Amino acid sequence: MNKYSNTQLRISLDTASHKTERINDKILKDYLGGVGYAAQLLYRELEPGIDPLSPANKLVFATGPLTSYRIPGGGSIQLCFKSPLTKVWGESRCGGDFGPDLKRAGYDYIIIEGRSPEPVYLFINDDEIQFKDARHLVGKTVSERTRIIKEELNESNISIMCIGIGGEKLVNIACVMFEDRAAGRGGAGAVMGSKNLIAIAVKGAGNPQPQNKEGFAVALKEARRIVKESETASGFRQFGTIGDMAGNDAAGDWPTKNWQSNNWGKAEELYDHYLANNFVKNSACYKGCPVACGRMVKVDEGEYKTPLHEGAEYESISAFTAFVLNEDVDAAIYSTYLCNELGIDTISAGALIAFAMECYEHKLISQEEADNLDLSWGNSQVLPILVEKIAQREGLGNLLADGVVMAAKKIGPQAEEFAVHCKGMEGPAHDPRSGKLLAVTYGTANRGMCHIHPLEGMAYDSGKMTWDMTSYGVPDPNTLDRWDEKGKGTITKALQDGLIMPDVLGVCKFLMYVGLTLEHYANLLSALTGWQLTGKDLIKIGERVSNTQRLFNVREGIKRKDDLIHQRVGSLPRFGLYHQEERCVIKDYEGMLEEYYQARGWDTATGIPQKHKLIELGLS
Amino acid sequence: MVKIKVKLHTILNKYAKGEAKEGDSITLSKGTTLKGLADYLAIPEHMGLIFLVNNLPQDKNYILSEGDEVKAFSLICGG
Repeated sequence: MNKYSNTQLRISLDTASHKTERINDKILKDYLGGVGYAAQLLYRELEPGIDPLSPANKLVFATGPLTSYRIPGGGSIQLCFKSPLTKVWGESRCGGDFGPDLKRAGYDYIIIEGRSPEPVYLFINDDEIQFKDARHLVGKTVSERTRIIKEELNESNISIMCIGIGGEKLVNIACVMFEDRAAGRGGAGAVMGSKNLIAIAVKGAGNPQPQNKEGFAVALKEARRIVKESETASGFRQFGTIGDMAGNDAAGDWPTKNWQSNNWGKAEELYDHYLANNFVKNSACYKGCPVACGRMVKVDEGEYKTPLHEGAEYESISAFTAFVLNEDVDAAIYSTYLCNELGIDTISAGALIAFAMECYEHKLISQEEADNLDLSWGNSQVLPILVEKIAQREGLGNLLADGVVMAAKKIGPQAEEFAVHCKGMEGPAHDPRSGKLLAVTYGTANRGMCHIHPLEGMAYDSGKMTWDMTSYGVPDPNTLDRWDEKGKGTITKALQDGLIMPDVLGVCKFLMYVGLTLEHYANLLSALTGWQLTGKDLIKIGERVSNTQRLFNVREGIKRKDDLIHQRVGSLPRFGLYHQEERCVIKDYEGMLEEYYQARGWDTATGIPQKHKLIELGLS
Repeated sequence: MVKIKVKLHTILNKYAKGEAKEGDSITLSKGTTLKGLADYLAIPEHMGLIFLVNNLPQDKNYILSEGDEVKAFSLICGG
C-alpha cells in the first residue's frame, strides 16, 4: 500500500542531472503533502519577485500520503509553482494515473529546476532517471506526443504528463495534461514550457505498505462502503459534472455573457442536446476510481467533428456556451477538445473569448485587431479559431494569451470593466449571486478566482453540503439563507481550512462530496503512518497550509485590495430569471471580508497574518 | 385540489415514485406549497432544492396553483 516514501526527486534541467533527497518527518507531520508540502518548499526556496517564466521558478509535482490506486479518489497529482498568470501562488490539480505511478516509483515529489537548453522529456522508471531529446515532439498535439512517447519507450503501461503547444508558446493559461485531463488553472504549462520540459513519463513497480495494516484495512473498507452507498457518487457516475448545468442555471449559479447575468435559461436545452447527440458513456480518470464521473463524448459529423474523447466537463462546456452566449453544443465540445489537444485551460480560454467579445461590442477591439473575425456574442464559428490563436499566440490570440489583466491593460482603462478576475485569474462557471459564500471564496482563494478553494460555495449555500464540517462548528446551512451575507466570511475560513485537505492528502475533492469526511481521512492517515491524527488535527494543518500560501502571496505584494471581487460579480443581473432580484446583489462584501480576516487572525487593514497567529501555527 | 405538472431533473428522478414523469399531472390539495410537493414526492430536505414554476424561480413556501409547471433541481454536485 501507500505510505510516504519520504523521498523527493530534484531535477536540474540546466545540467540534465538529478538527486534524490530524504524528507524529514517533522515537515511531513506539519504539512502532510500535496499543496501543503509544496507551499512550505516554494516559500523557502523561491526568491520573492522572480519572473515565473524564468529558470528561477520551480515546478513541483506533489503527491499526498493518500495518493494511491486503492484509496477512493487517490488518482491525483498537484502541480505547484509561482503562477505566470497571477504572479502569486499557483497550484493546479490533475486526476489520473500519474500520481499513483509516481508513488510506486518511490517518490512523493518531483521538483523541477532551471531550464534545459533544448526541449527534453524525462523518463522516471523507478530509480532510473533519463533525460530524452524532445525536439521531435515540439508542435505536436497532446495526444500525438503522448502516443509517440509511449511508442519510443516501448511502454504502454506508463503515465505521461505533458504540455501542449500552449505551454511551448508560454501562454499564461497553458496547462499540463494527463491524457484528456488537465492541471488546468494558473499556467503550470507555461512554467513547464519555459523550462523546455515537454513531458514527464513515469513507471513504478513499488508497493509501499501501511504502518498498521489491520487498521488501514478497516479504514479503507469503511471508506469504500461509503462510496458504494453514496447517492452523490451514483449521481456523479450517471450524470457527470455537466449534469449540474441546468440546475445551476436555474439557481443563478451560471455566469452568462461575461458575467452580465447569473443565468441564461438555456442550459436545460443545451444539456438535452448533449445527452442525445454527444454523450457515449462514463469514464474514470484513473485506474479503479469508484466514482468515474468522466464523460466519453464525441461530435459525429460536421465542422466540429471530434473523435471519442473524455470531455464535456461542466466548467469547460459552460465556458464555451454561457460565457460567450453560444447555443451550439457541438462547437463547445469541439473547442474544449481543441483546448486539451493544444494544452490551454478551458475555463480561462472561454473567459478570455467572452472578454474579447465584449471589448469588440464596445469597439475597444477594432475589426482589424480582431483579425477580421466577427466577434459578435454567440458566434460559435470563432470559438475554435480563437482557441487556436491563443495557443499559437497569433494575432488577437497573442493579446489574450497573457491573461485578462494584461490584455485589459493593453487595450485601455475602459476594458477593465469587462476583465472579470481575482488576483489575475479569470472567473470560473459559478456565480456568487446565487449564494454569498462563494464571493469570499473568490476573493480570498490563494490561487485567485477559484471555485474549489474550499469547494463550491453554492453546494453549502443551497443547504445540500456540509462535508461534516458542522462537527467542527460550521453552522448547518439549512439554518441560513443562501442570500445571507452575515457569517459567510467566518464560515469561508472554516471551510477553507477543512476542505483544503484533499489537495494536501493527494485525493480527489469529489470524494468529500460523496461522503468521506476529515475523520475518515484521519483514520486512513493514522493507519498509514502510525501517527495518531484526528479530523481536528487535519483542520489545524489545513490552517497552517492556507497561511503558508498566504505568506507566499504577501511576500509577492498581495494586500487587502487584492482580495476584493470585481464589481460585476456582485451586481444586479442584467437579464434572465434573476434580473430584478435584489437579493443577488452583494451589498457588503467588505463586511464579509472583515469577518474573514478576523476569523483568520489577519490584520484587517492589510490582510497580513498577525504575529500571534503565526506563532500559534508554528510559522513565526 | 390543484393539478400540476412536475419535471424532476437528474438525481431527483428516483423520487418520482412513477408519478411525476415529464408530461404527467399530479393532483395535490389546495394550498400545497413547493415544500409540500417535495414531501409528497419523499424528497429529503437536505437535497438543496431549487424550483422553477412556470420558468420563474420560487422558494419552497410558494403555494401551487392549478396548471403550474414545476421544475425541480438538486446539485449533484461539483465541477
